[in-house]
Amino acid sequence: MKKTLGVLCVWAALSSPTTAHAAVFYPESATLANGLQVVVIQNKLSPAAVQMVWYKVGAADDPQGRGGLAHFFEHMMFKGTAALPDGAYSEQIAAQGGDDNAFTSHDYTSYHEIVAADRLPLVMQMEADRMRGLILDDEKASSELSVVKSERQQRIDNHPQGLFGEKFRAALFPAHPYGRPVIGSKEDLDRLTPADARAFYQKHYAPQNAILVVSGNVEFADVLRLAAATFGRVEGNTAITDRAPIQQNTPSSRGASDRIEMQDARVTQPMVMASVPAPSLNTNLRRSYALEVLAEILGGGEVGLLYRHFVTDQKIASSASVSYDPTARGPSSFSWSAVPSASTETRALEKQIKEWLAQKASTGIDAATVARAKQRLQDAAIFARDRLAAPAQIVGEALAVGIPLNELESWPQRIHSVTAAEVNAAFRDVMKSQGWVTGILEPAK
Amino acid sequence: MNMNSLFVRHREARSAVAIHLSLRHPKNGLPRSLRSFAMTGLIVSLFLLPLPTNAANPVITEVTSASGVKAWLVQDSKLPLIALRFAFRGGVETDPADKQGLAVLTTTMMMQGAGAYDDSAFQERLAASSIAMEISAGRDYVAGEVKTLSRKKEEAFHLLALVLTQPRFDQTVLDRVRGQQQTAVTAQLAKPAWQARYALYTHLFGAHPYGYRSLGTVASLNKITREDMVSFTQSRFARDTLFVSVVGDITPDELRTRLDQLFGALPEKAKTQDIAPVTLPEKPMSVLTKREGTQTNIIFAAPTLMRRDPDWYAAEIANYILGGGGFIARLMKAVRAREGLTYGIATGLAPTEKTSLLMGGFDVDNGKAAEALALVKRVWQDFYAKGVSEDEVQAAKDYLIGSAPLSLTSTDAIADALLSMQTQELGIDYLDRRDALYRTVTREDVSRVITQYFAPSALSFSFVGKPDGVTTDKVQDLVKE
Repeated sequence: MKKTLGVLCVWAALSSPTTAHAAVFYPESATLANGLQVVVIQNKLSPAAVQMVWYKVGAADDPQGRGGLAHFFEHMMFKGTAALPDGAYSEQIAAQGGDDNAFTSHDYTSYHEIVAADRLPLVMQMEADRMRGLILDDEKASSELSVVKSERQQRIDNHPQGLFGEKFRAALFPAHPYGRPVIGSKEDLDRLTPADARAFYQKHYAPQNAILVVSGNVEFADVLRLAAATFGRVEGNTAITDRAPIQQNTPSSRGASDRIEMQDARVTQPMVMASVPAPSLNTNLRRSYALEVLAEILGGGEVGLLYRHFVTDQKIASSASVSYDPTARGPSSFSWSAVPSASTETRALEKQIKEWLAQKASTGIDAATVARAKQRLQDAAIFARDRLAAPAQIVGEALAVGIPLNELESWPQRIHSVTAAEVNAAFRDVMKSQGWVTGILEPAK
Repeated sequence: MNMNSLFVRHREARSAVAIHLSLRHPKNGLPRSLRSFAMTGLIVSLFLLPLPTNAANPVITEVTSASGVKAWLVQDSKLPLIALRFAFRGGVETDPADKQGLAVLTTTMMMQGAGAYDDSAFQERLAASSIAMEISAGRDYVAGEVKTLSRKKEEAFHLLALVLTQPRFDQTVLDRVRGQQQTAVTAQLAKPAWQARYALYTHLFGAHPYGYRSLGTVASLNKITREDMVSFTQSRFARDTLFVSVVGDITPDELRTRLDQLFGALPEKAKTQDIAPVTLPEKPMSVLTKREGTQTNIIFAAPTLMRRDPDWYAAEIANYILGGGGFIARLMKAVRAREGLTYGIATGLAPTEKTSLLMGGFDVDNGKAAEALALVKRVWQDFYAKGVSEDEVQAAKDYLIGSAPLSLTSTDAIADALLSMQTQELGIDYLDRRDALYRTVTREDVSRVITQYFAPSALSFSFVGKPDGVTTDKVQDLVKE
C-alpha cells in the first residue's frame, strides 16, 4: 500500500512541466538462493497479471552451423514435462482464460503468460516445472522442426522483404552473430537434431541464467513467497557461469558489401534504407541516450525532421522514418528508410536524403528542437505505465541484456540530462561512422 | 529502454532490420490478415470475452451533456491520463462506387490541418503536448481517438473540436496525402494476404459496398475532390449517429462540458444513406490467384449468424473448439502440432452491421498445400458430423469467460470495449451479464449452431500462391492496380 502512495506522489510530481526526477516503473527486486532474479512491477489498473521468464540466451549464442537453435528450442519448451504432458501447458492456461506465447531474439529468449492475478501461482509452478524438467522427445522434435521450417517460409522465404532483410542484416553485421537470422538459415535448420536441443537445454536453462518478471495487481512479498515455493525448488546448474561478454563489432572485416540491391517481380513499391552499427546502452551509455534523442528528433512521427522535410515539405517521399533501439548486449544500429513518391526516382531520393543528413549533421540541431524531443520522450514514460505487459517487457529486456534496474528507472533523468551538444556530437559521429550499408528493394524491371 | 519506440505512436520505423524476433505462434484468434473485415475501427474481438465473477468490472456511468450528447465513462485517476474514443455510423461502405477511398482519405486529411493551423502547425501542436490523436475509417464506422496527459487536456480537447468542426482540407496538402494513399494502394498489391481477401470479398459481396477497396485505387483517388471531403464531413458527422466512450482522469461533470465543447456544434441529424442489405451467394466457390513463391496463403469463409442472434455465444464456443482456441483448437492440434504442416491456423467470427462471416486461414508450403487442405477439410467434416464433447464445451466456456478481464488492461482497451458495447447495442450492464450469457449455453445449443452454420460445404476458398495439386473453380492473375 505504501508503494501505491509513493507512486501517486511521484506521478503528481511528474505532472508538472519540469519532469526531471521521476522514475518509470518502480520495480522491486530480489534474488533467490538458486540465483533466479525476481522482479515485480505493481499495476493496479486491472485484475490481471503478466508473468515473463527471461533466459539470458538467444540466437547470438547459437553454435556455429547450428543457427536457429535457440529459437527452435523455444518451440520445444511447450512439448511437455513429467508433470504436464505435451499440450497440457496451453490447456491449463486457457482453462483460466489466460494466454501464453514466447519469443526469441539475438540476446534472449522470453516466455510469458497473462492470467487473472489470483491464478499467478499456477503459471509460476508451470514455468518452474519446465525450467529443468522438460522431456525432449525425438519424434516431437522432428515434427516441431518442420513447424519451424514452415515458419521460416512464412516469414522470410515467401516474401522479398524477408529475404532482403536477411541479406541486409548480414551486410550490416558481417562478422558478428547479430548478422545471422534468429530463425536460422535453411541449411542450418536442416542440420538441427533433437540432440542439439538437449545439449542446449542443459547448457543454458537454469535459475541463475533466468529472470522472472511479474507485472500486475500483486504485492511484491506475495510474489516473492510464491517464487520461493516454485522456482526456488529448481536446482541451480553449477556448470553455468556468468555470461561472457558478447564480441565487439568489427565493421566490414570479411569484405561485406556496403550496398544491397534487390529486384523482385513481387515488389510493387520501391524503398530505400540505410543503417550503420551504432553504440547501445551497453557499449556506450551516454552516447546511446543522445542517439535516442536524435532518433526522436529525426524520426518522431510526422514532426520528425526527416519526414517533415522529405514528405511534408519537399513531397518527394511518401514516407520517411528513422529508428534506433538502444537495448542490446552488443552493438545496436541506427537506420533511416524511405519510400519515394510516385514521381521520384529511388536513387535520386537516396542521394538527397544522404546529402540532407550530412548537411544537417554539420549545421547541427538547435536547442529548442532538442528540448521538445526530450519532453516527448519523458511524456512517453507516463504513457508506458498505462499497460500491463509492456512494462514487464521493457524491464525484462533491459535486465536480460545487462542493463541494471536503477539505470532503467533513471531513464527520464538520463533523457533530461542529454544536451544539444551531445546530440550534435552523436549526429556527426554516426554520419561519419564506418560500416554504413544502403539497401534498395524495388520491382523487377 | 526503448520506451520511445514502444510507446510513441505513428513511428513508422519498422525497417527490415527490425525483423529479429521470432514468435512461438501467431497471436490467437482471427489471423491478423483477416481482422480488417471485422475492423469497424473498433476492436470487435474483445467482446468474445466475458468477465469472471471474481473480478470487479469497471463501473460505467452514462453521462449526458446539455445538448444531449451521451458518453459512457469509466472514471479512474490512478494515472494522469484521459483516453477518449468516438465513432460515427457510416464508414467505407458509404464511399461512392467510382470514388472508393473517400472515407479513408477524408479521415487522414482531418489530421492534416484544422482551424488556424495548417498541416505542419497542427502536427507540431499535437507533438508539443504529447497528444495522440487519430481518426480512421472502418467498414461501418468512422472512429476517432485521443489520448492525453491530464495536464494537456485543454489543448487536446481544443484541437479535437477543431478537427471535427473546422478541418481545412488544403488543396496542396490533399495532393500530397492523395499521393501517399496511392503509394499505400500500390504497396498493398504486393501482399498475398490482401490479394487473398480481395478475391474472396469480390466473390462474396460482388458490387455491394462491402466489396469496396477501403484505400481505393490510384484511379478512384484521382477523382476525389476537396468538395467530396467537405460534404463527407458535413453530412456524416452529427450527434444522432455518434457514440462516445471515455476512460481515465476526468469527472462526470467535466465530461458533460467537454462533450458539448467537442460535439455540441455538430448538426443534430446526419444525412445518412441507406446501404443495401448484403445477399451472400448461395453457392460457395474457390479461386486461385497465381503468385510466385514457396508458400500458398489460404483463406476461407462461410456466412454465419449475426452478432445480435441469441445463438451468438454458442457460435463463439463452436468456433473456439474448431479453430479459435489457439493450441486448444482442433485445427491447430491437427495441422500444426500433429503434422507440422503450418506455423499457424485459426478461425474467427467476423460480424459487421449487414452480414457476418466465419473466416479462417493459414499458410502452407506449395508442395504440402493439397495434403494440408485435405486435412483441414477432414477435421472440419468430423467436427460438423460428430459435434463436440461436454469437456470441449466446458473448456471453451472457461477460456471465454476467464479471459474477459484480462483484455481490459489499459485505458485504451477499456475505452474500446465501451465503444463496441454501444455500437453493438449490448447494453451498459453487458460486462456484468456476459459471464452468464456464455455459462448458460448447452452442448445442444452448440450442436444446433454447428449444424446450421459450420457445414464444410458452405466454405468458399481463396488461394494465393502456387499450390501443388489444388484445383479451383477459378484461376486469376494478381490484381495489378
